[in-house]
Amino acid sequence: MLLRLEGRVHSSEAGDVAVNIRLLQRRLATLLPEARTAGAENTLELGFQSNDAPRLISATVLEGGTLVAREVRGTPEPGFRAFLDGTQRSRVATYVGTSPVVHGTVAAVVRERRARRMETWGTPLVQSRLYVPRAMMQSSTWSVLRAEFGPLLVDTTDGEADVTSHPLALRDAAIHRVQAHREAVEQRLAEQWCTTESDALFVDGGISGSEQVAQSAHAVGVVKSHRTLYAEGDALGVVLSLNVGERSSVFRITSSKRTTVASWYLRLRDSAGHDPMWGLVRAEMALPGAEGMPRIGELADERCRWLLAEVSPLALPDARWDKMVYGVRDCEEFLRAIQ
Amino acid sequence: MASPVLGRVVATENRPNTPHEFHFWTALDSPVGIGTVVRVDGRDSANGVIPRVFGIVTEGFSWTDLASPLHDVMGHDGQPGGQTLSPTERAEIRLYTAAVLRHIPEEPLQPVPMGTVFLADEADVAIALRMDGYLKEGSRTGIPVGVYRAGGTDAPIYLDADFLIGPEAAHLNITGVSGLATKTSAVEWLLQSIFTHFPEQKGSVAAVCFNVKGPDLCFLDLPGEIDDNDRMLYAQCGVSPTPFADVQYYAPYKSDGVALNTLRSNEALLENVTPLTWGLREVLQYAEVLLNKDDIDAKADALIDFIKENVLDKRFSDSMLERPHTVTSFADLDAWFKDVLRALEKKDDQSWRTHHVATIRKVRNRLSNISLRCKGLVADDGATSDLPFGSFQDRTVYVIDVAGLEEDAQDLIFARVVTKLREHLEKRDLGVQHVVVFVDELNKYAPSDGPDTYVRKMLLDIAERGRYLGLVLFAAQQFRSQVHRRVVGNSGTALYGRMDGDELATPGYAVLSPAIKTKLATLEKGQLMVRHPHFTQPVFVRFPRPAVMRGRDGVSKYPAAQAPTLHSAVLRTLRQFDPGLTLGWLQDVTQLATDDEILRARNDIVRTRPTDVRKVFSAHFRAAVAPRTAARPDAPAPLPSAPSDDPYGF
Repeated sequence: MLLRLEGRVHSSEAGDVAVNIRLLQRRLATLLPEARTAGAENTLELGFQSNDAPRLISATVLEGGTLVAREVRGTPEPGFRAFLDGTQRSRVATYVGTSPVVHGTVAAVVRERRARRMETWGTPLVQSRLYVPRAMMQSSTWSVLRAEFGPLLVDTTDGEADVTSHPLALRDAAIHRVQAHREAVEQRLAEQWCTTESDALFVDGGISGSEQVAQSAHAVGVVKSHRTLYAEGDALGVVLSLNVGERSSVFRITSSKRTTVASWYLRLRDSAGHDPMWGLVRAEMALPGAEGMPRIGELADERCRWLLAEVSPLALPDARWDKMVYGVRDCEEFLRAIQ
Repeated sequence: MASPVLGRVVATENRPNTPHEFHFWTALDSPVGIGTVVRVDGRDSANGVIPRVFGIVTEGFSWTDLASPLHDVMGHDGQPGGQTLSPTERAEIRLYTAAVLRHIPEEPLQPVPMGTVFLADEADVAIALRMDGYLKEGSRTGIPVGVYRAGGTDAPIYLDADFLIGPEAAHLNITGVSGLATKTSAVEWLLQSIFTHFPEQKGSVAAVCFNVKGPDLCFLDLPGEIDDNDRMLYAQCGVSPTPFADVQYYAPYKSDGVALNTLRSNEALLENVTPLTWGLREVLQYAEVLLNKDDIDAKADALIDFIKENVLDKRFSDSMLERPHTVTSFADLDAWFKDVLRALEKKDDQSWRTHHVATIRKVRNRLSNISLRCKGLVADDGATSDLPFGSFQDRTVYVIDVAGLEEDAQDLIFARVVTKLREHLEKRDLGVQHVVVFVDELNKYAPSDGPDTYVRKMLLDIAERGRYLGLVLFAAQQFRSQVHRRVVGNSGTALYGRMDGDELATPGYAVLSPAIKTKLATLEKGQLMVRHPHFTQPVFVRFPRPAVMRGRDGVSKYPAAQAPTLHSAVLRTLRQFDPGLTLGWLQDVTQLATDDEILRARNDIVRTRPTDVRKVFSAHFRAAVAPRTAARPDAPAPLPSAPSDDPYGF
């Protein structure tokens, strides 16, 4: 099985040179003798601080008039056939002057559960790109890189109104683009699933980024990060004081750039002794049509039962194990293994 | 059809592959186990050849992605039963370590490459164990020892006759706990296999087996119970599932000198049972076996040598003695000693021919004691009935039943028989070119510690020199670690049955992995681990039950005969030479004889095997006068009657 995967992974569009940072660094040293190769630094994601400020957003409640805590009806039961997650890894390959040239690799996989064992569904995606701030480069340098890496070369200053030469800002810009790339490959796999399969897919993260996925009845997105909370005032207190096995009322998330989806909060684990967001996830599913809207609570309960069934086995030793299900950890481990 | 991929070779910095060891992982449901032979097909060529490596699994590991067992406890709220509620099983690995059996090509010898792992098929097993070298048509010297079974592969495992029987290496040692290791069964099976497959061009082979306990080897010529699985193993190994065709049994008499001291004493089975009796000459040659170091000092040794050279089987006369002596038996020897001591007492002298009277008394005491300690084996009258040294038959088993004897007698028999075998093999006049000697309880005969006995020295001699002569030792014991190192060390082939944990903890087993030790400690009956010079690693095999009657079945089916009367016992022996003899004839002939005279006559018949048994046997006894009815004498002539006129007549 792995041999088959390896062949597929290595034949990804990134090509062998781009996949391997060491090879890439050697190549860059040849192409750009004036460049200064970076040392063995950690991945940039480790030191990356999101610029998104925590915020509260009021959302339209779809189930009843106000957002309240509701006990999930029924007993937990496995309902997901597969799990989708992606990873990203960025490292500075070299510096041209003071500008970092970042090597970013993204990967995504769907891991399917068969007879309680996880196997790979379809073809996992692994892609690499070279992120370069073109505005900080001489045109000759850019030309050399363009000739060598072609479509794998990404300009991190493209479309930026305010370009700064601060190396950290340039690195952050690269990371944002790597992140966007990861989301793109995740969405590609999710769309493939929603097109070909008729069972439920657990998507790590939101599903509103892809219209096809956001409108599919087979995808459930699970968001672990709560820098944006869709509750204000009393509703915020309701969300943060949910007991284990309780969910919030379903509400609608609307965005100009994203597809509207139905969402709710669910407490997976008892947060006693922990911070209020411990074991708290936000689930997303396709917004039902008018005929399905009266049953939206039932649909949310069903998804909650599926989610609560995934609390075991634990995703330890991952630090996010209170919110992460084991299937997602398995995806991450798989991607770590094949990269 | 190409065999399915079994696993993939992996190596890490912490767990690298070497030229002698590699690691691979498999699917969770793979048929791999400890002892499975696998083949690695390398990815990249070396010197233009894709390397192939054969290995045998010696260790297995399994783990999940759990960082701490506590995580699993927490995940199930401390309730072990909750596991069934988990919709997903944790990621799990089966990782195996294999010891390299063979590299192809052999040079350059490199670490095992990354590659794909396959189950070895029958041809692979032959290559892996280097059996291909001696299974070639025309020069085949393979002796099947059992069948390797793993993952659906059944492959007969062959030992090289050149390394089992000699001359390249020789000897076999089998070890394991009593009752479960099936040591005796394994040797019986292997002998059947040797008799079937020993190459004609390598000459003849026979086996001498010492039955040291119970009825173990007493029914080798009778069919035993085997099942279909056994028959399949026999078929795979090309051995007929039949008992041994030619078996000869030898047993001494019991102390009464009448009945044979063996559990194979049923009337129906006596056809191939021969008494084993030795006289003074035979015993005195091996006096060292029965006399310990305290008994034999330099002075006593000198006297025994004097007797052997000057007294035994010669007419000995001395002016001091009352009469000349011809010593051929223990009785004669005792008479000679008495005469010597009487002469010394008469002269009130302390020494005779430099031998002190105390030494003479001591040697007399010890030697006389032998005939008592080994009564039944040693005949006072010098009669000898022995193994057919000089006319051994090819593919014949000679069983010597010493189970019912005292330890001294066992030692004596063992020492003498093996020494005689060696002597005849050296002279190439034994009758066969190779003899396998099977000795059980080697812990007793060749212990690693304890006194340096004659028997141990002799076993060492066989172990070290026997292969040049064709004298091969098949030895069994419970504790290999407690057998003399040179005896086990010279065994080219070693078999291991179910092992005791304490024994496995001894340093001699340090080379085995913990998993192999665990397997050895739990081996089923009929399974063995085999080490052989051609095999770079031990391999596990199954062997069939021997197609001979088990001892306890034999005893049950053929119960030992009741203690016979003297006449019936003697008649039974004589009938082997002349079936027409009757009890009435025997009683008539021995009417006036003592028991000793009858036994002496019997022993003479056994020793000389005359064509006319009646005549020779009768000649030992005084002719009895046939009873006759006294003839009535003729009536005397009647007296003349007195004259009627005689006044005194009445």
